[in-house]
Amino acid sequence: MAFAIEFFLRRISQGLVIVLLVAFVIFTLLRIVPGDPIRIILGPMTPASVLEQTAKDLGLRDPILVQFGRFVGQVATGDLGRSFIRGLQGGSAGGSQDAAGYNPESRASVAELIGTALPYSLQLAGLGILFALLVAVPIGMAAGLRAGKWPDRLGLYVSSLFVSLPNIWVAVVLIFLLSAKADLLPAIGYRGFSYTIIPAMVVAIELSPVMIRAISVSVAANLGEIYYDVGMVRGLSRWTMIFKHVLRNAAVPLLNLFGAQMIGMLLGGLFVVEYIFSYPGVGMLTINAVFQRDFPIIQAVAILASGALVAINMLVDFTSTTIDRRLKF
Amino acid sequence: MTSSTAQAEIAPPSAADNQRGVTRRILARAWSYTEMKLAAAVFLLLVALTLFGPLLIDASATKMSVADKFLPPLFMEGGRLPHFLGTDQLGRDLLLRSLVGLRNAFAIGVVSVIGMFILGCAIGIYAGYRGGWVDVILMRLTDVQMSIPVIILAITILGMSRPTAVSIIAVLILASWPVYARVSRGVTLAERQKEYVRAAKILGASDLRIMVRHIAPSILPPIAFVAVLDVARMMIFEAIFGFIGIGIQPPTPTFGTIISAGTQYLLNAWWITIVPGVLLALALGSLNLMGGVLERARNHILQGGE
Repeated sequence: MAFAIEFFLRRISQGLVIVLLVAFVIFTLLRIVPGDPIRIILGPMTPASVLEQTAKDLGLRDPILVQFGRFVGQVATGDLGRSFIRGLQGGSAGGSQDAAGYNPESRASVAELIGTALPYSLQLAGLGILFALLVAVPIGMAAGLRAGKWPDRLGLYVSSLFVSLPNIWVAVVLIFLLSAKADLLPAIGYRGFSYTIIPAMVVAIELSPVMIRAISVSVAANLGEIYYDVGMVRGLSRWTMIFKHVLRNAAVPLLNLFGAQMIGMLLGGLFVVEYIFSYPGVGMLTINAVFQRDFPIIQAVAILASGALVAINMLVDFTSTTIDRRLKF
Repeated sequence: MTSSTAQAEIAPPSAADNQRGVTRRILARAWSYTEMKLAAAVFLLLVALTLFGPLLIDASATKMSVADKFLPPLFMEGGRLPHFLGTDQLGRDLLLRSLVGLRNAFAIGVVSVIGMFILGCAIGIYAGYRGGWVDVILMRLTDVQMSIPVIILAITILGMSRPTAVSIIAVLILASWPVYARVSRGVTLAERQKEYVRAAKILGASDLRIMVRHIAPSILPPIAFVAVLDVARMMIFEAIFGFIGIGIQPPTPTFGTIISAGTQYLLNAWWITIVPGVLLALALGSLNLMGGVLERARNHILQGGE
């Protein structure tokens, strides 16, 4: 127990520093890259004096460090702020209708926008991971157990093929084949669970090569360990060894991989896939926010995304140290 | 002074020579795979096509021609020369557009991987060699960088400014160097303990010299083999950026813009999106297969195989 408490205290404090730095990087980038949100909030016809006044009122003309300090103070109290653009009903406001004056209260809160979008993203991510496991576990296991034989080559071919298919193209091909031609599944937008299936396939095709490779490598490596031969000499059957020992030991590097590589890939994949399918998740919310210079949404998503990465890595490290106590943290 | 430099040369070349032997053995092992020869052949063919195709085909990648719009590829009814793969919604030749797009994607992929390799390995070797607080700070920096999803970083920087090839390459390097820093730091930690490094140090070689002349040549080649896979990854990113509208801007053709423009005509002219994608997948497939085989050969040799 003491071990767990020490572990989490140490990692949570490290994690908070990382998230804070990430937030600072994104916050600063948004403000030094050209593109002024005020012009989009108020529309092109607004006189320059009104633009400047609104920018001052919103605090966008203060030094970046001051703005960041204010932002962190706000986030610390649990308030992620309000969108620049999106109205209370969720649709895009802004433009000329605000020419007379800008009222931040008429905008949707960022936390609510993300709260509405997040379940959709999680559903897509979950189904995508499930599909990927269904493909990767059998192929990866077979390849690892028969290293150097044909299942191994099959693993190499399948993962080389899948990793070579750009997700944007796979998405369009699947929409064309399954939706437009065969009329089996719906594709664009969201009006029910079936709208998640084709996007999840695209996510799965992106994730499975990494899984196949990792599973086969770590299973094969464990078959080469001395403990495996010892077990065989002691008369345990091959399948007992594989299911009782090899899988358990192979799980540690796999978990690490899930943390380090997969979550990053998954996040990136979700953004692109949601954008292609107009799927109403966090990814589409963010991409639209970028094009509308909607700083509060981008900042909040960046913080949440890096926080999720840090948290998942922490859990993964904790789980692998519990499975294998030799690992230090 | 001269004598000490001369002496410093004595120990290291053996390590570097040994490394050269290992590199050659990895390449030989990789070449023994049929897949490697096949992938290399496809890859070279595609490179040659991107270089010479535009000179041989009597059409233009950017010139619009309303009379020729929506022509199907030659293998379908209604296709006609010189449009081997048909034309797009503005009558531009799709094969040419794909080849120019492929050439740009190759260039961006290769340059960005070289950039992230140099930057990442320089930081990694420095951190691993120096150790102490330098190491701690640099590695925490990789933590921070790796906690920002690539796509968020890319759309933030590229989505807000007018993207150019240079800014795209810069974003890719910025987003991906930490992996190389991590890996090269790990190997450097082990390499630092080796006898030849200590010998060089005793003989009076400077830290910079040890890092650049001795450690780098012996640890970088195995990492470089895997970088082939990253070229393909960066090409995919380039395509994604183009699709979202944050890639190289029209009229320069990129796969992303070709595919995204074609989605509007999917039902009547599916080839606009599907056919260029096949070409891109072929290029990525050959790169990934080569990278995959090289990685296997490397692991095989480094684990003591012949």
